[in-house]
Amino acid sequence: MADPFLSIRHVEKSFGTTRVVQDFNLDVEAGEFVSFLGPSGCGKTTVLRMVAGFEEPSSGNIVVAGKDITRLRPNQRNIGMVFQAYALFPNLTVAQNIGFGLKVAGASRADIDRRVTEMLALISLPQMADRYPYQLSGGQQQRVALARALAPKPKLLLLDEPLSALDAKVRVSLREEIRTIQKELGITTVFVTHDQEEALSISDRIAVMYGGKAEQVGTPFEIYNRPATKFVANFVGTLNVLEGTVADAAAGTVVVDRQQLSLKGKLDGSRPGEALSLALRPEAVALGRRADSDASLSGRIADVHFLGSVIRIRIGIGDRIVSLDMFNNSSAPPPAVGEPAEISFSSKDVLVLH
Amino acid sequence: MKANRIWSWIFLALGILYFALPLIGTLEFSLKLRRGAYSLDAYWVVLGDPRFQQTFLYSVMMALATIVVGVLLVVPTAYWVRLKLPGWRPFMEFITLLPLVIPPIVIVFGYIRLYNTSSWLPLTGSAMGTNILLMFGYVVLALPYMYRAVDTGLRAIDVATLTEAAQSLGAGWVTILSRVILPNVAVAVLSGAFLTFAIVIGEFVMAALLSRPAFGPYMQLLGANRAYEPAALAVIAFAITWGCMALIQVVSRFAPKTPEQPH
Repeated sequence: MADPFLSIRHVEKSFGTTRVVQDFNLDVEAGEFVSFLGPSGCGKTTVLRMVAGFEEPSSGNIVVAGKDITRLRPNQRNIGMVFQAYALFPNLTVAQNIGFGLKVAGASRADIDRRVTEMLALISLPQMADRYPYQLSGGQQQRVALARALAPKPKLLLLDEPLSALDAKVRVSLREEIRTIQKELGITTVFVTHDQEEALSISDRIAVMYGGKAEQVGTPFEIYNRPATKFVANFVGTLNVLEGTVADAAAGTVVVDRQQLSLKGKLDGSRPGEALSLALRPEAVALGRRADSDASLSGRIADVHFLGSVIRIRIGIGDRIVSLDMFNNSSAPPPAVGEPAEISFSSKDVLVLH
Repeated sequence: MKANRIWSWIFLALGILYFALPLIGTLEFSLKLRRGAYSLDAYWVVLGDPRFQQTFLYSVMMALATIVVGVLLVVPTAYWVRLKLPGWRPFMEFITLLPLVIPPIVIVFGYIRLYNTSSWLPLTGSAMGTNILLMFGYVVLALPYMYRAVDTGLRAIDVATLTEAAQSLGAGWVTILSRVILPNVAVAVLSGAFLTFAIVIGEFVMAALLSRPAFGPYMQLLGANRAYEPAALAVIAFAITWGCMALIQVVSRFAPKTPEQPH
């Protein structure tokens, strides 16, 4: 098997006595789009900044294309970076901003002009070459920042929450544009975000981070459907969590709010009387009995939110609330608050979190 | 409300009179060299005096040298403090304010004591050495104005992110300072430069005690020996200072506009 393009090995970082990154390991293949996803303070940006060279690891190595770059200065790494705050040079035009890296590298005027034209076409802003950053919208500025980072043909592209400052609509269109450009150029990319939808929608793989560690690295499908830890399960997507007690581990029975559930094959290694958390994605739960469901629980309607095409229903089961979304149906009005209700689901969709 | 506005106008008029009357008096007096008529004779005498031309040229050259050295000293320092040593800012504020607190006469006596002909660095032993010493003295005098102007300019841009963006594009420190930071604080630097120019042109104590042929000692000499010419010289000096202020206003229009920063 070929060596990974980017290899982060046992990297740690401390600021004073605070360890912000702990034994972080990740291999990224050439052309792959990997996202670091996690809450504020989880260390995702610190890892990215160590790859860029803006922070020096306290220990560990960073290898790009077989070369150890751990102690190289940022300007010697040939790694492109896009920042949350755009960071376009206010005194330079769009074309001059894009050509900056090439000019620093000593490229000829003709080469710079050719590459700038190429980049402007790539970001669909060919008519903006002579504008200054203050004359552009946030989305346009970030596209120019992307073109500027790509112009010197970097080995690796780092994106530090590039969409966070943009409004929702621009965010969605720009993230799709970033992914299209990344695929077109085949450039290895690391993207930092705290927005799970962003990470799930554009990544080949996601590293979910918490407390300075990678909790789980996997494809969006694996991360969402097979979370390895309680944190990943809670952080990625919406999750309904019910507290239960093991009744019979061999038979797979659990008691939830004095109701018995059968979860065959999911309680291996559990002991009778052991407390555990059962997690269910809202889309795995249906209101009423469903033919393909083998588990059900009874409760009472706690809340009904009419959201237009979707109706969000919250059902109280003991002291816990289970949320589910159902499509609006003009011939069937939503249930009323306080009514008894039954939810059903397939036992294979239940995530058991110890 | 209306009464308040009247009082505001009265106080404004009094303020203007307080500042303008001495100037008007000086201007009027400077035009009276010819008996019984207003004339520009005093100005022609001053402008035609070879010592005026020599001392003015000397001070202009000193001001330019002071600006160059001041910019080379202050811009990288203020930039580095903002970027890497933000905790040092109060200390830097204190250091750069010292020239306002310590009288120039104390500074220049210190220089003479440290750099006299029997010292380890006898700068006062030659004209060039004394010029260099005087220029560094001017750099110190202009430090509060230059540092503040540059620091204010740096505050308007995101120094850290622009630096990192330039680094990621392959730029080293010299390129970052010359192509990214300096152009974006150029207007602030020019403001500091014009203030420095105005200070150097009018400075007397250091130039007199170091015995250099500067414009300040010439003004004093003329004032001690002539009647109308010193008034004309005062008006010329004011015009130079105001010209510098007007230039600050003009160049500030050409400042690179900073795009709105995302929050």
